[in-house]
Amino acid sequence: MKEQTPGKAPSWHLKSPHDSRTQGLVVSGFSSLPTGRALFLEFVGREPAGGAWLEALDAIAPVTDADGRDERATSLAFAYAGLEKMGLPKSALESFDAPFREGMFQEDRLRRLGDRVQGEWLKTVIEGGPTWSANTRQRGPLKSVEGSEGLKNTSTGHEEEQIPSTPVTVHALLLLYDKDDPSADAWAQQVKDALQPHDVKVVHELPLDLRFDSNGTAREHFGFADGISQPVPYDEDEGAVVLSNGMTPDSATDQWNGVPLGEILFGYTNGHMEEAPGPVVPDSEQAIAAGLLPHRLAEGFRDFGRYGSYLVARELRQDVASFWKSMEENASHIRERDPRNSAHVTAAWLAERVVGRDTDGHLLCPFGKKLPPDAFNRPRNDFGFFETDPHGKGCPLGSHVRRGNPRDALSPTAAETKDLLAAANNHRILRRGRKFGPTSADPCTPDGENRGLLFICLNTDIARQFEFIQQTWMLNPNFATLYDETDPLLGPEGRMTIPEDPLRRIVDVKTFVQMAGGEYFFLPGIPALRYLRSL
Amino acid sequence: MTQHTSPGSSCPHAGAGSRPAAAAGGGSPSKFSTAGGKHVRQTTLSVALEVKPASHDQLTHLIDRLHDNGPGAGGSKRDFGWFMQGVPSVHFLSMLVFPGEDYDPLFVLEANFDGPSGVFWGQLEAVMGEELRAMLRCCKRPLDEDGPLYDAVTADCSRATVAPYMEARAHRPSVFHHGNRGMTRDRILAEREIFLGIRKELATACAPGSGGSPYRGSVTPAQIHHGLRHALLPTFPWLAEEAPVRIPWPDRLMDILRLVLFVFAIVLALSLPGLALAPVMPTDRYLILMAVALVSVAVPLYRMREALPGTAIVGQTNLFHLLLKNVVPVVVFLVIYFAVVSLPATLLTSVLTGKPMLASWSHAARTVLLGMACLPFSIIGILTWLRWKERRDASQDAPPVDEEMIRQMVQREDWIPQNHMGSVVLIKPGVLRTVIIRAGHLGLGLFLRVTATDGYLGSMRTVHFAHWAFANNHGRLMFFSNFDQSWESYLDDFIEKAAAGLTLAWGCGVGFPATRFLIQDGARHGRKFKAWARHSRTVSRFWYSAYSDLTVDQIERNNRIANGLRKSSLGEKEAAEWIHDL
Repeated sequence: MKEQTPGKAPSWHLKSPHDSRTQGLVVSGFSSLPTGRALFLEFVGREPAGGAWLEALDAIAPVTDADGRDERATSLAFAYAGLEKMGLPKSALESFDAPFREGMFQEDRLRRLGDRVQGEWLKTVIEGGPTWSANTRQRGPLKSVEGSEGLKNTSTGHEEEQIPSTPVTVHALLLLYDKDDPSADAWAQQVKDALQPHDVKVVHELPLDLRFDSNGTAREHFGFADGISQPVPYDEDEGAVVLSNGMTPDSATDQWNGVPLGEILFGYTNGHMEEAPGPVVPDSEQAIAAGLLPHRLAEGFRDFGRYGSYLVARELRQDVASFWKSMEENASHIRERDPRNSAHVTAAWLAERVVGRDTDGHLLCPFGKKLPPDAFNRPRNDFGFFETDPHGKGCPLGSHVRRGNPRDALSPTAAETKDLLAAANNHRILRRGRKFGPTSADPCTPDGENRGLLFICLNTDIARQFEFIQQTWMLNPNFATLYDETDPLLGPEGRMTIPEDPLRRIVDVKTFVQMAGGEYFFLPGIPALRYLRSL
Repeated sequence: MTQHTSPGSSCPHAGAGSRPAAAAGGGSPSKFSTAGGKHVRQTTLSVALEVKPASHDQLTHLIDRLHDNGPGAGGSKRDFGWFMQGVPSVHFLSMLVFPGEDYDPLFVLEANFDGPSGVFWGQLEAVMGEELRAMLRCCKRPLDEDGPLYDAVTADCSRATVAPYMEARAHRPSVFHHGNRGMTRDRILAEREIFLGIRKELATACAPGSGGSPYRGSVTPAQIHHGLRHALLPTFPWLAEEAPVRIPWPDRLMDILRLVLFVFAIVLALSLPGLALAPVMPTDRYLILMAVALVSVAVPLYRMREALPGTAIVGQTNLFHLLLKNVVPVVVFLVIYFAVVSLPATLLTSVLTGKPMLASWSHAARTVLLGMACLPFSIIGILTWLRWKERRDASQDAPPVDEEMIRQMVQREDWIPQNHMGSVVLIKPGVLRTVIIRAGHLGLGLFLRVTATDGYLGSMRTVHFAHWAFANNHGRLMFFSNFDQSWESYLDDFIEKAAAGLTLAWGCGVGFPATRFLIQDGARHGRKFKAWARHSRTVSRFWYSAYSDLTVDQIERNNRIANGLRKSSLGEKEAAEWIHDL
């Protein structure tokens, strides 16, 4: 949301020629285009679907690159099943990372993500199970077990659950960003019409919205400023990243949020000090014509990944009334149990503790204080927890923002804060989600409306970044020496500890957020898109 | 589907995704005593047995069946209550089979338990002796003196106990780590009950005549402590006893002495060339020789100091910086070394030469001192030799993995907050590697015993029980770990927080990512290191944890709470610190 805040807040962009080869979504959330449409595409025709539909798309909604602001913007990402359907060569398909190849809907992965355990969708998934995914082909039974009678007859780990298909199959995710609703609607219709003849069907659609308030703050449905903490990449090899003040950042520029560009884009140095490994395609005239560079490690192949990333999408429904009702109930229970010392405990006070920042995005600090805004009147994002708030008496240990990015908070001693901050920064994601659905007129009354967040993030190592955050931080029942509680906002019904003097409080939280669909996508660079078009 | 289980809980997957009932497992509070005052040491061992290749499938079947059904025929015993009750000394136990690639398959039983191994083996025999016997029949008859014992145990209709055979084949670890040092299983479980008891008391207790909590309002931390102790003492009478010492001072002293002795021995060994030459050379010539020798090895080392292209990782532990940072302790140590070693050297000189004590002393002191002058040459010389080797070591960027094996491993992971891994790697050949591995493991083991006493390995506190052990005449290195969180996060911890120690201990493995000076780079090649480690693993077919919802951190927290509650009163300052953990 950087561009929308008062003054000229610093931001980053890619320099030429990196910018014209990368999708605009990487460098910007397009906050100057507050309205959006997420179109979920299915290739319904015969295989291979080929890339001709991309020509048609190009005529009406060309995918936006990263070299500056456009009138309207388009982003496009593909699921594995979609690439398979389009006819990407087998060797190329196999060069993708396992999480992308297997898709989000795989037994072990769903367990780690907190969606499905032992054949049942958990309460953090909408009733009846998610409605959309890529329905990636399941891996089937283990071949090595088939020949052995002994192994076949045991129940242990020799069968993999076949995840039921979702009603809607999504092969690609098309994001359209426009200035207002009427033009977005008209444009989306034009796109649908253009794709129809190519057997590319829009099977699901979400209206995306930033809906800035008068202060220029975009809030998610519970009412909190969103998208504040973002990694700021640097590239020490080619200096591909440039800050708005003209400076080329390096690893020392931003100790709190600096990450190597390879964490976000394939082909650049990542947090493991190697080029973030991405997919390849066999050398061919098409690949050369598309502008794919030779791969540095795989002779005979072209670099299909460079300038691209993995895009994780999860449609998260938010139950606003349940959230505020639960806060209200907890506040009154606390006041009942502690009549003399609880005047400050209100629903709003508790909700801020659940999030860890106030509704305007300012960090909660000990002694009831808040971190003042920066020079551009934005909520600050350059802070650690260890020195100022080690026990979580300001920003609770298990609050949403502290779990989402613990910074140096998990450091055992002051001497190790730097190492622990660096370790935490090895698991950052670039968030590009937007909310959908109408704003609640009265947050405390259920209105039956469908609203939530289309969570979108970019990362080059899904297991080390997105999945790690979800499993090891968000849903870890023992995060930061807590016991038997998970993220109070995203997690299932349970508890949340709020440290206070003299004694911590524990509140009961309900399931406020439910996943309605999700998948892992590949966000190609511009040359890779050209290659796909030539399929 | 999985071997992970909450003791006493009928749901084997409690803890994964769902929020388990607060009191899952454990049984009644009075069930676990904390053995007041008596110290019980924890033991870690592994038994590695070669498997008859044709019996491999049968062996894995037997392990799976034991896991699925418990001992005996049939019956649903997936809750592992039988194991919990039958083998009350065990913290963690695993049984796995490494498939044969370079060797025939290897069956390993890894155990971490309280007290001496005799008691443990007895308990295990009583619970699953016949199952173990059937498994042993799938293993090869050892070619050494244990052969007859094997025959006796595995003969048709044999009734001989298997425990002696297992005990005879057990390996002691080369390096091991216990996260919660000195904590018996019963104490961990008892203190877990205290933690849960406090939670319940704080949530439900009512002040007389109101719905308000007696622990709220204008009460101080010391008053809360007092109230809680008063409320819980009837249920947990052991709170009146003094806390057992976790590491008794004689143990601690021995740990430190062993480490000091080890360092002395290393320094002595490194000064051997000097000790041999000094007595037969004039001092000036000796020193010139040392200087020339030093330069002759230091120059090539300086030339080879940089990492090979593409293998450097910046910003990490560096031997030279480590030495600079610790220059004072190093000098102090050398002075002490000189003083201590001069004494026996003087006696030896006096006995060998018959010279008077004073003359013997001056002779011995000169020799020891000049011997120490040889240290730079020895150390740099070995580093040069090592670096020369490192630059020629092949590392494996993409070790082959069996997709189906990975699937079986992953399917057993992430059901509870803890996980298990077992790994076997081949060791790099050569005299230098052999010496470094053995000395390195010995030193690392002693070092951990002295430094890792509060659960922290560097800055990571996620390892309950882990150990390395050699197999095949030091030709293979096994690694077993019972850790918190996911395998990915565990490996990330290693990469981000403990890369140097890990590279030292595991860098001797064939195919390990390129290292520099033993501790640099190596495991910091995160993705490659993960791929290498994944390739070395096998399926943890049978894995048991006695406290499946507790992390190392949680056990330490519960211990702090219990220790505080054992005190009849706390000062306000002490109480304010204590209350953070509730």
